[in-house]
Amino acid sequence: MIKDLSDIFKKASSIKEKKKLVVMAAHDEHVLDAVAVAVEKNIVDAILVGDRKKINEIAEKHNLNFDKCEIIDEKDNDNAAELSIKLIHEGEGQILMKGSLDTASYLRPIIKSKGGLRTGDLLSSLAIFKIDGYHKIWGLTDGGINIAPDMHEKASIINNAVFFFRALGIEKPKVAVLGVVERVRSNMQSTMDAAMLSKMAQRGQIKNCIVDGPLSFDNAISRQSANFKEIESDVAGDADIIVVPNIESANVLYKSIVHLAKVSPGAVIVGASVPVILTSRADTDIIKLNSIALAASVEF
Amino acid sequence: MITRLSNLSEHLKEQGTKARLVVGAALDKNVLDAVVSAKNTGFIDVTLIGDASAIEQTLIETGNNGSDIEIIDEKSDYAAGEKAIDFIREGKAQILMNGQENYRGASVITKPLLKKNSDLIKGKTISHIAVFEMENYHKLIAVTDVAINISPDLSTKANIISNAVFLMRRFGIETPKVAVLAAVEVINERMPATMHAAILSKMAQRGQIKNCIIDGPLAFDNAISEESAIYKGIKSEVSGNVDILLAPDLETAGMLYQSLIMIAKAKVASITVGAVAPIVLTTKLDTAETRLNSILLSACTYN
Repeated sequence: MIKDLSDIFKKASSIKEKKKLVVMAAHDEHVLDAVAVAVEKNIVDAILVGDRKKINEIAEKHNLNFDKCEIIDEKDNDNAAELSIKLIHEGEGQILMKGSLDTASYLRPIIKSKGGLRTGDLLSSLAIFKIDGYHKIWGLTDGGINIAPDMHEKASIINNAVFFFRALGIEKPKVAVLGVVERVRSNMQSTMDAAMLSKMAQRGQIKNCIVDGPLSFDNAISRQSANFKEIESDVAGDADIIVVPNIESANVLYKSIVHLAKVSPGAVIVGASVPVILTSRADTDIIKLNSIALAASVEF
Repeated sequence: MITRLSNLSEHLKEQGTKARLVVGAALDKNVLDAVVSAKNTGFIDVTLIGDASAIEQTLIETGNNGSDIEIIDEKSDYAAGEKAIDFIREGKAQILMNGQENYRGASVITKPLLKKNSDLIKGKTISHIAVFEMENYHKLIAVTDVAINISPDLSTKANIISNAVFLMRRFGIETPKVAVLAAVEVINERMPATMHAAILSKMAQRGQIKNCIIDGPLAFDNAISEESAIYKGIKSEVSGNVDILLAPDLETAGMLYQSLIMIAKAKVASITVGAVAPIVLTTKLDTAETRLNSILLSACTYN
């Protein structure tokens, strides 16, 4: 059972057949830093698809060792993208990671309905935290892909996150759908969406999880707070997955935890046939490494 | 506890109160028959407002001795309607009844009563509740709203439920079970009724609609039959033991009402609640028994 992010590293390095990480347009120094550490820690093997000359220069400059990694020389980013996707399709790689190309160019070939990697209705971002004072790891979704998801899209976001949590070994994750308040307000769509998603889980339209909402953030992570508000809920104070109403609230919540609580999460994009890593330049090396470990520790 | 419609007079006896019924624009023979029967139970006092000579004539024709029925002469229907409402406003009567069963006649009472900012409504939702007794269901079941709200929005539906919960609690059911009906038991974005139902369920769970258990969306069969719910894999406290059925709109409620009466041969009593006094609105299709039971039902909400 995974209780802490360190358990994710243990799980990743104990997997018999080491996973191969395909880095699309790998000539990016921050990404290569993280990949080198992950390879050294024996969490993954890597295939670097990108400009070999630049990769070697970065390796030399940063004193990185890619002797164990396959490097496929491809200077053109579009070709690198196509090749990376092909490697995943052929089963050569089991994790995809973004290198030196913009996010849209990275996601386009993944999302594409023909020849892409998408398995669900949509891709969504899932960040996994372990915070002092909360008894287990928990996921925050969707922090980066869907801007203002409607109810149907939120159901898909939940499905994606539940799928990943089950891959981590949490059989029936508890999902809190956040609103500003724990009551239904007809002038706050997020509270109505939350109520409907709860019922969808109860009726088996969203499977393998328990959903409750609307819950405010404190109700979701603190039983005491839920008791104070007299909320009867299987999820309150014990949430595994927290679904936020929109990208702004996700972003603010994510950054407040990272910057003020000084916690480093791991994050993956879910909804594709393999874990997809999309870290931003602003993310620290440890977040990038956590993300690789997270992706390496699950079997889809 | 009221479990059959035949328990209504027994309940009134225990309640030990007497309510005065005021009938506006009393004209219909059917209504007058029902009013006299209600008076004869001993639990209801009656005031009739309308054309006094016509009322007396009808009472004689029907073989009723109207000697102890108060009659107030008012030849204009609309003035009679207003006067009946004044009776309620002044606390002289506790139950309001419409004296005419044709469509135009109904408006004599409802129009002035339901007009906006009426002091008799005080911003509340007025709704109609029909209480059915059927051979093939183990207890009384309330269907709402058959008469007032055509296409209620979410908050109106919440109020309609609260009104019905109020009534069923008067019957002695502390925490009535409410099924919010839809065509299917799953959430479907193209069917707003299913979305409303899910939201209403959560509102009850969060204490926003009090004193009841709500589940929905439920199809009619899931609501009244546990077996049917189990077959669909529905886990619900409400299935098979429902006290209140909330229909998504007036058309659905109306068809259900008529189907229960005409095909399932159900007995029914109806009441309109939400105003300061219960209102009895009967129709030409009602039986004498229904009219009487509707008056007695209204009296049960008063003490």
